[in-house]
Amino acid sequence: MITYDAIVVGSGITGGWAAKELTEKGLRTLMIERGRDVVHRKDYITEHKPSWELPLRDARLSVGTKGAEEYPIQARTGQFRESNKHFFLKDAKNPYVEDKPFTWIQGDQVGGKSLIWGRQVYRWSDLDFEANLRDGHGVDWPIRYADIAPWYSYVERFIGVSGEKLGLAQLPDGEFQPPMEMNAGENLVKGGIERAFPDRHVTIGRVAILTQPLNGRLPCHYCGPCERGCSTGSYFSSQSSTLPAARATGRVTILPNSVAHSLIYDAAKNRVTGVRVVDVVTKQAREYEARVVFLCASTLATTRLLLSSTSPRFPNGLANSSGVLGHYLMDHHFLAGASGSIEGLLDHYYQGNRPNGIYIPRFRNLGDDASRRVDYVRGFGYQGGASRQSWGRGGGERGFGVELKRKLHDPGRWSMGMTGFGECLPREDNYVELSDKTDDFGIPLLKIHCTWGDNELAMRKDMAASAAEMLEAAGCKNVRTHDAYRGGGELGAEPGFAIHEMGTARMGRDPKTSVLNGYNQAHDVPNLFVTDGACMASTSCVNPSITYMALTARACDYAVAELKRGTL
Amino acid sequence: MSESNGEITRREALARVAVLLGGVISAPTMAGVLDAATRRAWATAQGWAPRTLSPSQLELVAVMAEHIIPRTDTPGARAAGVHRFVDTLLSDHYPTAERDRFLAGLADVDARARSQQGKAFLACAPAQQITLLTELDEAAYPVSGAGAPPPETWFFRRMKELTLVGYYTSQVGAAQELHPSPFGAYRGDIPYTSVGRAWS
Repeated sequence: MITYDAIVVGSGITGGWAAKELTEKGLRTLMIERGRDVVHRKDYITEHKPSWELPLRDARLSVGTKGAEEYPIQARTGQFRESNKHFFLKDAKNPYVEDKPFTWIQGDQVGGKSLIWGRQVYRWSDLDFEANLRDGHGVDWPIRYADIAPWYSYVERFIGVSGEKLGLAQLPDGEFQPPMEMNAGENLVKGGIERAFPDRHVTIGRVAILTQPLNGRLPCHYCGPCERGCSTGSYFSSQSSTLPAARATGRVTILPNSVAHSLIYDAAKNRVTGVRVVDVVTKQAREYEARVVFLCASTLATTRLLLSSTSPRFPNGLANSSGVLGHYLMDHHFLAGASGSIEGLLDHYYQGNRPNGIYIPRFRNLGDDASRRVDYVRGFGYQGGASRQSWGRGGGERGFGVELKRKLHDPGRWSMGMTGFGECLPREDNYVELSDKTDDFGIPLLKIHCTWGDNELAMRKDMAASAAEMLEAAGCKNVRTHDAYRGGGELGAEPGFAIHEMGTARMGRDPKTSVLNGYNQAHDVPNLFVTDGACMASTSCVNPSITYMALTARACDYAVAELKRGTL
Repeated sequence: MSESNGEITRREALARVAVLLGGVISAPTMAGVLDAATRRAWATAQGWAPRTLSPSQLELVAVMAEHIIPRTDTPGARAAGVHRFVDTLLSDHYPTAERDRFLAGLADVDARARSQQGKAFLACAPAQQITLLTELDEAAYPVSGAGAPPPETWFFRRMKELTLVGYYTSQVGAAQELHPSPFGAYRGDIPYTSVGRAWS
C-alpha cells in the first residue's frame, strides 16, 4: 500500500483543479486517470494540420461510417471528427446500458474532456441557486452566489476568461480579459434585437480563451479548431493550466491507464481509506491509501464508482444513506432555435477563425411579472453567430463549371443562427443504476434512465419561437425554426447530447435527501468529496464547467482546513 | 502543381509555423511545434493506386469533377486530386451501402451516355459530356416550388458535393483558388475588398 495525503480520481476539468489546489496547499496528491497520457503540445497530433493532410479532409465521422466503428456512441456527437477522434473514448472500453437514448460522451486521456470542451464560461446567479427553493423542484442548494462569487473570481483569474461585462443580475460579470469582436452580421442583428426587445442583450461569448497573455500562455491566434489541442495554451485545459501548476509543486503523481475500481471504506473510522485501482494494460490491481479522496471522474463515472463501492454499512453505494445517489440526473436540452439570412453587408468580411460565438442571456422567468411564463418554469440562453456562406453552398444549388467556380471565389450571403440551451428540472425518475453486466475490470456497467419532461418540451417551443421572433425583428429573411428533438426512443437532442450531464450525487442541506453538503463533502463520510458535475442540485441554463471549477477550488480550501483541524 | 495532393514542402510548413508563432513564442515551444509537424509525415502520394474505383471509374470521376470545377487561371478538380479523394472516401469512410449506391450512380452515368450518344461517357466529346451533366444537374436541383428532387438524383448531388469538398480542402483549392484565414489577430469587420476572395 502506497500512501498519499490525497487521491484525486480523474484528470479533467475538476480533477486538474483539485490536484492544483491540494498540491499548492502542501498535500502529496495522487491523480488516478483511466485513459492514456496526453503530453501538452507533443500529443496534439493534428494541430495546425491543413485540411489536405487529413486523408478524409476532417470528415465528421458519423455513426455507421468507416472510421467510427470503435466509437458507436461517441460518433453521435457532431464534435466527433477525423481530426479529434483520438480524444474520445473507444466505447468498448467503458460501455453502458441505455434504457431510452442517453448519449454519454467521454474523454479517455489525461486531461479528460478539458481538451475538447466548449470553453463557454458563465457564472451562476442567485436566480439559479434559489430556483429549487422557489419553485419546489429538487432540493434547495446549500450555497448562494455570495458563497461562490470569490471562487469564481479566483478561477477566472487563473484560467483566463475573455468577455464583456453587462451588469445583469441573472448573469453576473466576472474578471474578464478584453472580449473578442463580433462581426458585422452579428452587430447588425444585435442592434435589431436590442431595439425591439430592450430587456434582451446580445454579447460575445464569455470564453476560457485568452485575448491577452497569462502565466506563460499566449493569446489565441484564431486557427480555429481548439479541440485538436493548443500548443500556445490559449484555451484552458488541464494540460495548459492546472497540471503544470500541480507539477510545479513537486507533490503530484499522475497515474494514467489506471481505472478506479472501488473506494476502500473503513466502517470503524467511518472514513474512506483509499482507492482500489486496476492497471488498464496489465489488469493488475493495486491499492492506494490517502487521508482525503476527491472524486472528479465526471458526473456518471463518479456516481458509478460510488454505487459500486458497497459495504455492510453502505449496501447501496458509498455515502448513500439517503438513497438519492444515482437519481436526479440532468443535462441541458438544446438544439432548438432558429436561423435566417441577413440582407446586404456584402462589402463586409472578417479575418480569423474565431472559436467563439454570440450569447443571449436568459430573459424568461427572471422573477418579475414581465418575464414570467405560464407554460414552463426556469429559462434558457442562446448561443449562435453570423457568418458568410462558404464554398459549401455550391452543393445545394444548380450550376457547375466555370460559372460555379467563379461564384464560389467570393463568400456568399450572410446568415445568422442561434440555438437555445435550456435548464432541465431535477426529477427522481431520471436516474442511473448498476446493471447486472460488468466490464473488463469486473465493475458493474451503468444503466441510464433519462428522458426530457413536460417542462423541457414546453420550453423548447419557446426557444424556437423566440429565436425566430428576434431574428425577424432584426430584419433577417427566410427565418426558419429548428428543433432536433425527436423523442419516441429515437436519437435527436436526446439527454446527454449537450454533454452537460449533471446530478446523481447532489448537494443539499439535508443528509436525508442529498449526498453532499455545501462544501461538496459527503454527508455520510467526512473525508470524501465529489466536485464534478455529479454534485449539482440543478442545472441553471448556462454552461456548467466554471461552476464545477469554483466548487472544486472552494472544496479543496475547506478540505485542507479541516485536515489541519483534524476533523477529517 | 503536381497531383501529389498530400504533399507539402518543409519550407511551407516552416512558413506556416512562423506565421503562427509571430516571434512571441519561446524556442522550446517552437521546437515542439515543428517536431509534431515534421513527425507527421507530409506523406507523399507516390505509388498511389485506387482501392475501390476501377481505373475507368477513377477516370470517370476525374472527368466529371473537372467539368464541375474546371481549370481556369487556377488548376481544376483533376489537378487537385479530387478523384483520388473520392476513392479514399469510398474506401475508408463510406458505409458499404452508400459506397455501392455511389458506384451504381457512376454506372448510370455511363448507361445514360450509351443510350443518348451510343458510347461510354468517357468516349463522348466534352460538349456531349457537359450536355449530359447539365441534364443531371437540372434534375438534381429543381426550380423552387417543384418539390423535392427524385431519389435517383442523389448521385449527382453527392458527386457535386464531393467535388467541392475534395477541391476546396485540397492545397490547390484551399490555398491557391481561395486562401486560408491567416493565424494571428481576429478582425470582426474588415472590407471585403481588402481580401478579395473567400477564406477556405
